[in-house]
This record gives sequence, C-alpha cells and structure tokens, in this order.
Amino acid sequence: MSTSVVIVDDHDVIRVGVRESLEDDIEVVGEGRDVESAIAAIRQARPQVVILDVHLPGGTGGGALDVLAEVLHDPEPPRVLALSVSDAAEDVVAVVRAGARGYVTKSISGPDLSDAVRRVASGDAVFSPRLAGFVLDAFNAAGGEVASVDEDLDKLTAREQEVMRLIARGYTYREVGEKLFISIKTVETHVGKVLHKLQLTSRHELAHWAATRRIV
Amino acid sequence: MTDQRLASPLRRRAPQSRWWLMALGGLMLATSLALLARRLGWGAASGWVVPGLAFAAALVLVWSPLETAVQGDARRPDVVALFSKDAWVRVVLGLVLGIVTLVWFAQWRFTDDPLLRAVLMPIVIVVALALILAPWWLRLIRQVGVERERRVREFERAEIAAHLHDSVLQTLTLIRAKADDPDAVARLARAQERDLRAYLYQERRSVEDSVATALQRAVSEVEDAHGVAVDVVSVGDARTSEALRAGVRAAKEAVQNAARHGHEPISVYAELTADRYEIFVRDSGPGFDPSLVPADRAGIRNSIVGRTRRHGGDAVVASAPGGRTEVTITIPRKEER
Repeated sequence: MSTSVVIVDDHDVIRVGVRESLEDDIEVVGEGRDVESAIAAIRQARPQVVILDVHLPGGTGGGALDVLAEVLHDPEPPRVLALSVSDAAEDVVAVVRAGARGYVTKSISGPDLSDAVRRVASGDAVFSPRLAGFVLDAFNAAGGEVASVDEDLDKLTAREQEVMRLIARGYTYREVGEKLFISIKTVETHVGKVLHKLQLTSRHELAHWAATRRIV
Repeated sequence: MTDQRLASPLRRRAPQSRWWLMALGGLMLATSLALLARRLGWGAASGWVVPGLAFAAALVLVWSPLETAVQGDARRPDVVALFSKDAWVRVVLGLVLGIVTLVWFAQWRFTDDPLLRAVLMPIVIVVALALILAPWWLRLIRQVGVERERRVREFERAEIAAHLHDSVLQTLTLIRAKADDPDAVARLARAQERDLRAYLYQERRSVEDSVATALQRAVSEVEDAHGVAVDVVSVGDARTSEALRAGVRAAKEAVQNAARHGHEPISVYAELTADRYEIFVRDSGPGFDPSLVPADRAGIRNSIVGRTRRHGGDAVVASAPGGRTEVTITIPRKEER
C-alpha cells in the first residue's frame, strides 16, 4: 500500500532533499514550485498527500493559503502536510486553520517525515512539538483554562492539554499513550479533536496571534 | 512576520471617457443659451452668467490633462511625461481664460459699496485661483507621499542587505574557508541558521525582557559548544526575574548533560504560567540509573537540583538504562508583578 505525494516548495534543493528522504513506500507523483504550478500538479496527479511549503511565490501572495483555498474545495481533496522553516506562529496556525492536517519543520528526519506522511494519508493529524507549543499558547492552555465539556471549542479539555504538553515535550504518539495509559488510537483521537478546534474556533487570540503574545 | 509584500501590483485603470470634452460642449451650449437669452432681452441679472460659464470652462480646460494624475498610477512623478502637446494647449488656454474672467470680475461693479467690494473681491479671486490650482496641488501632495514611501522602502531594503552582508555572507565565506572541517562547518551553519531565524521570525527581545529569549540563548550556547541540535519550544513569556534565571541556568545544565551523554534529538519545552515555570529537557537515550551516579559528581545535585531548590522549586531526573532521560525543572513564581 503505497502513498502518493506531491511535493511543493519553491527551493529545488529542498524538493530534491524531501524526495530523497522519503521512504520507498511513498511515491512522489508530482512537484510544484509556486502557487500556480502546485495547483496544476495536484489537480493533474491527484495525490493522497501534499507536502506543502508555507511560503510560496505566486498566486495572490498568500503562499500556501492560496493553494489550500483552491484544492481543498475539489472533489476528493488531498490531505495536506505543511512543511516549513518558519518558526512564526501566525504562519503555522494560519496554514493549519486553512485546512492542513499537520505541520512539521524542515529539520525533521527522513523516517519521521515518512511517518508523518503516512499518518496524514490515513486521516490523522500530525503535530510537531513546535505546533503543539503554538496550540497551547493559542488556547491559553498554560493559564490553566480547561473546557468543561468536549464541545467547548474555545478551550482544550484537560486530557487534550496533557496530550499537547507531552507532544511539546518531544514525546512520540506511542510514548504519549504509554505515559497516559491510553492507546495510540486514543492519542490520535485527542490530537484530531485539537486540530478540529484549532480550525473551527473563532477565538480572538488565534486571529490576532502575533499582536497578543500573552505576557503573564 | 505576516507576509507583507514589499511591492503591490500596479493598478491599471481605464482612462475615463473624455469627460472634459463633454463638459466643454455643455458649457458652450449654456453660453450660447445665455447669449440668446440676453438678445431676447430677458435676464437682466445675467450679466455675470457668461463670465461665470467662461470661468467654468477655464476650470475644465486646466483640469482636463490631469485626469490621469488624479486617478491613475501616481508612481510616475514625471509631470512632463503626462503631457502631450494638446494638453499643454488646453492648460494655457484654460489659464488665460480664467485670468480674463477674473480681470473682468475685478472691474465688475456688482454693488456700489466700495467697502463691500474691497472685501469680497480678493476673497473671490483667491478662491477662484485655488480652484484652478487645486488638482496641481493634490498631485503634488500625492507625489510627496509616493516619494516618502519609496524612501522608506529603500531604507528597509538597505537595512536587510546590510544584515545579510554582516551575517550570512560572512558565515558563507567562513564555511568556504573551513570546508575541510565538518564540525566547524556544522557549527557555523547552525549558528547562522539560528541567527537568521531570529531575524526573520521573532520579535527581537532582550534576555531581560523575555525569559523565552533567555532560555533560547542559553540553549544556543550549549548547541554551539557541543555541536548538537536542540529543539526549543516555549509557551508563555515574562520578564526575567532572579528565580526564572535560576530555572534557565538549571535547564542549561540539563541540556549540557544531554549533549554530553545522550543522543539527539534533544528537546526542551518550557511553560510559564501565572504560578510556576516548568522546563522539560529530554534526550533520546541511552538513559542511565540515577541512583548509580557517583557521589562526587556534582552536576545534577548542585547545578540542577540544588539551584532550583534554593528558589523554592524542585528538579526531578527521570531515567532508566535503555530509555530516554527527562529532567523536569519547576520554579514557583512569587508575586513579582
């Protein structure tokens, strides 16, 4: 069962590097170097997963956001894994809110990236420690606000916070499960819910992220 | 960095239909009607109608070449380039017509009271001149704005160029010189990458203002000294206090241990809440048995545990042979606001 991907990045070196580092069961079916060529490649190759750089030339200047806005409305849209050197929280959060199913930094190792691609392909969310940190920050989770019910989109539940904290501390999903005595499947469910909240919440902090870096 | 693009696309507007031609035609029609009315002998009060219409025509003529200036792209500050020959003719004609009407107005005895005339006359003339010159004035203001924007951009560009020259270019030169020393190259590249990231993506804040910056700085020193890569994630931030600084120092010691004895990747996660500062330092093995550390080794006991306890906190080292080591440092926050 191989996974088909399209790699989108404006730097040839990175595209080659990503292609090289992916494991054998992941097949690169197309590449894009700017917004237009990315959209074309995705529509032509119809991959399961798109590895998408956050900053792209072309389009209306929105970079990855332009691509997401286009392809996620297609029938059978691909799943998107954002890949970036950017440490800027607002970039990352914006891309995830626009529909990316995960975010990893370009310093990720080959096996980890392959693992992330498989995970995204199977419908799960992929959180790097950095993204988990951003999420905790965005939901003011460090302030100890906890959602009383699961449906509260503005807050994370206590369990979701625990999971995010462990991921931020560098734990793999498996290690998180072992630490909290829950199955990997349950960890993935929590992560998926957090992603969902991140994409749905209208929370002011998320919208005005950079301006409101909370000083305790 | 919200993706602010330095250049915005040029907006091309379709030139409007020759509105001034239509206006001129309308005015001529009005003038002829006014003359007709006078010939027919009604409208004694219409002594000012013809000059008034003439003045309006003058306005239309003077303004007409500037339609592009008022609506179009103001990034062509070259006024002369806007003007074709007939535009010049129009402007000169309009000015002459306007001055003639004003001269006529200056002689017009619209009232017998000389005082009232002396007051009204200059006001009307000044307003009329202002009307004639208004578009030119607007254009000048726009141009000044464009110029200023251009200067600001120029300045920004120069600053970015200077930064790149002082940092990236120097480092690349060094890397080329040391190409046969992989450790040095890796270290230089890492340091430069960090520096560039900080420049691109972070608000530049000082170590005193931000404990997150202080932690990042401390970890960077270890990265450079030991040639390892450490991933730092910080949640929450505040001014650095004595207690927080102790936490950062303890964390630095823990990262140093991880760099010395553990495998990469090493991750540091710091969380600052209203009542405490927690830092987790985690390596990827090989682990050890904390109870077997010889009594004469002071690293963990003094630099990590002792230091945090002096500030009312605690530090726990969790590890086992074959597993990962994680150091948890907790510093309580007193009311320091």
